[in-house]
Amino acid sequence: MAAAAAGNGTPREEEGPSGEAAAPPPQAPTSVPGARLSRLPLARVKALVKADPDVTLAGQEAIFILARAAELFVETIAKDAYCCAQQGKRKTLQRRDLDNAIEAVDEFAFLEGTLD
Amino acid sequence: MAERPEDLNLPNAVITRIIKEALPDGVNISKEARSAISRAASVFVLYATSCANNFAMKGKRKTLNASDVLSAMEEMEFQRFVTPLKEALEAYRREQKGKKEASEQKKKDKDKKTDSEEQDKSRDEDNDEDEDRLEEEEPNEEEEVDN
Repeated sequence: MAAAAAGNGTPREEEGPSGEAAAPPPQAPTSVPGARLSRLPLARVKALVKADPDVTLAGQEAIFILARAAELFVETIAKDAYCCAQQGKRKTLQRRDLDNAIEAVDEFAFLEGTLD
Repeated sequence: MAERPEDLNLPNAVITRIIKEALPDGVNISKEARSAISRAASVFVLYATSCANNFAMKGKRKTLNASDVLSAMEEMEFQRFVTPLKEALEAYRREQKGKKEASEQKKKDKDKKTDSEEQDKSRDEDNDEDEDRLEEEEPNEEEEVDN
């Protein structure tokens, strides 16, 4: 059987144990020296924006801010979910911690029913 | 191959890195929780896009701009994001400006190089006017050679 990565018991792992992507995602050309400003690839964010049938065009700045906002969102929801895990005296964030955070925080109400 | 919005996920490695940096050391995250956060981030972008698009349409514009997204954040009750996003936007604009100036500077340097090559030919004479004369004379010399 494949060697289990540290902390993960699932034999099926898409990425290496260190979290580095085995297959690098397609990166937009703008993500070289400005990598500090936005870690999420702008091309992927742009694809999400274009998925909306009502959207005609989106400026480069808008895509960039959406990417940065998504990063802030991930940080925020991770921290809120962690509070729930801490209460349970656990050191691993579980799916249920996330569900609790979504229910508890009003701002995450738009996520209800979308993650199943 | 129909692409549904739910399939447009952000790269797992980047999501994991952001989560780990947000949390204290030694805290782990289960695969299910991580992929749920990844999907949540995609939903967030879609929802923010839709809100921002409403602002753009109100302004009778067809292109989403930065202020539309910032207005969307406030509408979605993520006001706390607005200030860091504004700072990030300023830094991004400075960087874009820097890139533009850098490419313009390269162009200037390229032109300078061409000029300095012509100056080397007339090093004996330091007069600028003579250099101009030499430039005019060169094509004349070619004509003489042809004859």
